Amino acid sequence: MRKTRSAAFAATVTALLTLTACGGDDASTGAEGEVAQPEVDTSATFEAGTTMAEVQEAGTVTIGTKFDQPGFGLADLEGTPAGFDVEVAEYVAAQMGVSPEDIEWVEAPSARREDLIANGDVDMVVATYTINDKRKERITFAGPYYVAGQQIMVNADNTTITGPEDLAANPDVKICSVTGSTPAENIRQYLASPDQLVTFEVYDDCVSAMQNGQVQALTTDNVILTGYVAENEGEFKLVGEQFTEEPYGIGIEKGNTAFCEFINESLTEMAESGAYEEAWTATAGQYEGTEVPELPELDPCA
Amino acid sequence: MDPVLENLGLFASGFLRSLGIAAWGLLGSLVWGTVLAVFRISPVPVLRAFGTFYVTWLRNTPLAIVLFTMAFGIPAVGINASYYVFGVVGLVLYTSAFVCEAVRSGVATVPTGQAEAARSIGLTFSQTLGLIVLPQALRAVVPPVGNVLIAMIKNSAVVGALGVGGDLFSVYNRLTSAQGYAALPVLTGVAIGFLVMTLTASALLALFERRAAVAR
Amino acid sequence: MSDPSAATTPSGAAGARRPLVRLEHVDKHFGALHVLRDVDLTVAEGEVVVVIGPSGSGKSTLCRTINRLETIDSGRITIAGEDLPQEGKALAKLRADVGMVFQSFNLFAHKTVRENVTLGPVKARGVSAEQARKRADELLERVGVANQADKYPAQLSGGQQQRVAIARALAMDPKVMLFDEPTSALDPEMINEVLDVMTGLAKSGMTMIVVTHEMGFARRAADRVVFMADGQIVEDAEPETFFTAPKHERAKDFLSKILTH
Repeated sequence: MRKTRSAAFAATVTALLTLTACGGDDASTGAEGEVAQPEVDTSATFEAGTTMAEVQEAGTVTIGTKFDQPGFGLADLEGTPAGFDVEVAEYVAAQMGVSPEDIEWVEAPSARREDLIANGDVDMVVATYTINDKRKERITFAGPYYVAGQQIMVNADNTTITGPEDLAANPDVKICSVTGSTPAENIRQYLASPDQLVTFEVYDDCVSAMQNGQVQALTTDNVILTGYVAENEGEFKLVGEQFTEEPYGIGIEKGNTAFCEFINESLTEMAESGAYEEAWTATAGQYEGTEVPELPELDPCA
Repeated sequence: MDPVLENLGLFASGFLRSLGIAAWGLLGSLVWGTVLAVFRISPVPVLRAFGTFYVTWLRNTPLAIVLFTMAFGIPAVGINASYYVFGVVGLVLYTSAFVCEAVRSGVATVPTGQAEAARSIGLTFSQTLGLIVLPQALRAVVPPVGNVLIAMIKNSAVVGALGVGGDLFSVYNRLTSAQGYAALPVLTGVAIGFLVMTLTASALLALFERRAAVAR
Repeated sequence: MSDPSAATTPSGAAGARRPLVRLEHVDKHFGALHVLRDVDLTVAEGEVVVVIGPSGSGKSTLCRTINRLETIDSGRITIAGEDLPQEGKALAKLRADVGMVFQSFNLFAHKTVRENVTLGPVKARGVSAEQARKRADELLERVGVANQADKYPAQLSGGQQQRVAIARALAMDPKVMLFDEPTSALDPEMINEVLDVMTGLAKSGMTMIVVTHEMGFARRAADRVVFMADGQIVEDAEPETFFTAPKHERAKDFLSKILTH
């Protein structure tokens, strides 16, 4: 960790020197793959003492995201994540003058997200992070930037389960989700007994469990499921309607209203500039059966 | 400690689930471990070889790998059972290798003359073990087997992560990630739950040790 | 001088009786050590054979091969005409018929004196607990420790323990009794109480193979004395003949050492 930090710092210094040497050349630092790099705003000015000013001053920002979620945040072998969450985070970072290569990525598994923020280990968390009141007691959410909905995935040849209502009627059916996740909590009310729910640390284990017949269904947000359906062609299908609304927010330090408002402004800009749609199309939007979303109405920063 | 007090019911059910895993694991490891120890000292070469192979293999494999093999390897070859069963069986397979060695070392403390005398009055191998050797080994066996079993209670926390769920440790995940409680107080509550189990086990063990010491 | 054939042929009344234990060409190694070399020995029903010899001569091992506490490399051992079975139920059954008394008593430490004596009959023979108890009390009376029946072995003196061990063996109504240095671990003042019991047993007609250093017992109670050295039987004679006119050099040497001090 220490090594990564100092490496990131060195990279930052180099980047700053380069920028000064080039004398205000604000051209983007080159496209990476098919995803267009957000334009880094080097001219923005922030009030002293705000998070934005601190980030701009440091030239780097630490962001938590999922490393195991296709379409949203999936890390490659070097530990660099890619996905819609990553695109959104990079856009916000760019508004503070930080280019994508100067972002330090930290894996933010579901169970650790609040602690990462509360302990100050990250500046923000963009990690399929459902806004709810319980979480708001410890952190503040900006956004939402996307509204997901929970759905159920079954084997392609399954005809018994057509929606959450069928679970209680088929007590032999086991449904898998991630330990302690919102979808795991939500599904409980549809079950005949708690034993119908099988939980693992990561969704990949749930997929393995489905493939070897240990469980018959997997439930979580539709966008995550679409990723698995697309990755395992012909094996799985989604059934039933979305039965919850999961507004994804950006988690930040509790009570940091200025930062929250700044993020919300950035999100609005992202949508208006077309970068939002572009980011979606290049990531989660590539999976079959997904539609380009509209930026949802943002919650006020209280 | 608010997160614990506010969710006492959840902690209680998690505690019972973990207690169940530990209890089945304890019973299974004691029985299978003793059977393995008997294999290892039996006059039948095939059983001895099996016992030695088993202990060498399982004792030198990390528990996590045994449990992953149970949860993902066994179903992959077409054998399905609940993760609870897989978890307990994995725990038993692993722990019994240690129980076996503890029992065997206890048996070694019984003078060979005892077994020879038993055999010389016409007792069979199993009678010799059951009536003469194991009862006398008990006193020497209780402390090391007890240590193995207390380690097993703690290892049972790993079982919950492999699809079993509802156990004491999974309470941590439910409270911290789904409900956003801080990790430290919740983990403290979980640790207290395990302490209740291990300290009770230690106390029972000390009692049993005293009684085993008196009974001769 | 006696008949030269006396060394190999059982003499006197015993010669007429049926052979009960027979060892033929028995060989055994402990690693590189050749502990039994081509041993032949026949013990007839009712005969008392004392085996003596310097330590390391193989006499204890010989005793232990007879109920297969030690296995043999080659040769043949029969009891009442039957070969010793392999490990298993049949061997257990045979051992029930061959009583054994050990140097270190080996009473079951976690059982009372009476339980030590009843265990074999109840578990190996299926005798009822009540009957076994009755018989145990008779036997304990006979060996003179009836008043210790409810104590644990550790509470008894060595001599008492060894007498209990004899009662334990007798409780199985054995065809033959093996004694493996039964007095070697005893304090001198306790040796006689054990030898007295053994002498009484010999007089009652029990077939006995006794490995011992007690020359007095050999003279008094044995029908034959077998002298072993280096894993071989080098002399086999009536006690009187052996003690007064040993033929083999090793036997002479051994006797001179133990009888002169």
